[in-house]
Amino acid sequence: MQTKHHGKPIIYLDNACQTLRPWPVINAVTDYYQNYSACGGRSIHRLGEKVTQKCEDARMAVARLINTKRKEEIIFTRNTTEGINLVAKSLGLKQGDAVLTTDKEHNSNLIPWQIAAEKFGIIHKIVPSQKDNTFNLEKFKELMEDLQDKIKLVSVVDTSNLDGVTNPVQEITKIAHQYGAKVLLDAAQAVPHRKIDVSKLDVDFLAFSGHKMLGPSGIGVLYGKYRLLEEMEPFMTGGETVEYSTYEGHKLLPPPGKFEAGLQDYAGIIGLGEAVKYLGKIGFKNIAEQDYKLNKFITEQIVEIPKLKVIGPLDPALRSGIISFYMEGIESHEIALMLDETNNIMIRSGQHCVHSWFTSRGIQGSARVSLYFYNTMEEAQVFIESLKRISKLV
Amino acid sequence: MFCLITLIVFSILGIFSASHRQLSKKAFDCVFKRITLRPCDTGFDKKIKGKIIGKILTKSTKLARGVYLFWEPISWVLVILMFVSLFFGAQTAYKFTRYQIEVYVNAQECASNSEDCGTVDPCNC
Repeated sequence: MQTKHHGKPIIYLDNACQTLRPWPVINAVTDYYQNYSACGGRSIHRLGEKVTQKCEDARMAVARLINTKRKEEIIFTRNTTEGINLVAKSLGLKQGDAVLTTDKEHNSNLIPWQIAAEKFGIIHKIVPSQKDNTFNLEKFKELMEDLQDKIKLVSVVDTSNLDGVTNPVQEITKIAHQYGAKVLLDAAQAVPHRKIDVSKLDVDFLAFSGHKMLGPSGIGVLYGKYRLLEEMEPFMTGGETVEYSTYEGHKLLPPPGKFEAGLQDYAGIIGLGEAVKYLGKIGFKNIAEQDYKLNKFITEQIVEIPKLKVIGPLDPALRSGIISFYMEGIESHEIALMLDETNNIMIRSGQHCVHSWFTSRGIQGSARVSLYFYNTMEEAQVFIESLKRISKLV
Repeated sequence: MFCLITLIVFSILGIFSASHRQLSKKAFDCVFKRITLRPCDTGFDKKIKGKIIGKILTKSTKLARGVYLFWEPISWVLVILMFVSLFFGAQTAYKFTRYQIEVYVNAQECASNSEDCGTVDPCNC
């Protein structure tokens, strides 16, 4: 980050919210706005054609990233939230159908199902986690057995934004399919950090966000199996969703077109394509190694701080690049503000849009450090020293 | 109650700066909630506390700890001192204004009748 404050650099540890952007992504977006800022998929002039081509290249890059069978299975959305809402509204769930989520879902993967339960009478059940916040596979199997004929969708987070724990999604998908249920994965925290292969996982839907993987803000992706997308009705229609229309009717485009209504965020799509290329150069193996190395270094030191509690398992190998903690006697917002004021350290504090988890346990909130491959050991050391100083206040 | 101090300070600064007007509005919301015996849920009080203690923490951990632990009593002391200062400041301004008026009036009378010129202490200071 270019900015300095009082001569000190910014230490950005809020990557689970959104990541920083490398120059190739910024340049790609700027290039679009400066040199070919036209409408793709509509205008037939050379600038329009260039935009269309660049967007399709980005779609192809994303398709390869998660190993889909065809690029038409990639729908560009604004973010993960929109992707999940698209499935919630378009899947055709009706009264009596059951949807299963976990007790650690981001509001984006909780509220849509609560609203569907209120409005359409679907049954929404929650799988409780184990004591250490890992997935309770036994409870999941029990609930699936109870819901047998009714279960239509299992919608779970892949890697939690709360504590970094990754659920056994392959196992979950296998069991769900045995009961004839579809699977939707919230992969917002997973795709930026490790190789996700939707063909191998055999998930039916997967949503993630560009802004958490070096891409511009305002762009996301929903993957869906083509035959399912073909059957689904779009929840938003208009320009670019139809082959043609008359005063009496219309013919929808096949996927992904029918789901991408209105003028798209071309700059965002092009930037996302560039971000995917950049990630490919870094390599997921290197990203995972750096996540683990930094997480281990920080965890080993902060567990020694009295009155500090880490949320989730203590083993950093189970928490991706996330360390969520709270301290008795100091509110999480105060910790975040003091880290900012003392050493320009940016972390998130509060309930991280997982209010349900915190309120059910009577915990006010937590401070969350979320790492990425560009964070360094030196930054981790400054964070630890600052946190130790803050801990001396109580 | 630190919000009360920030309300007055930011309100004065807000005369000259738009960003301080926004802060004074947030301070007002916080103060209003406190005087109606509700907790301040705007987060403004926490922000101010975090920033101030963060700044102190860079200089001295011990001092920061003291300020952190006794934040509320220190805030009340500062609020009381502020009102006391405002009172004496207002009193001084009033006496000074009265003195100036008396001196002016006396000067007018002196100009018309020189026998009335003399040492005057209109405020019995």
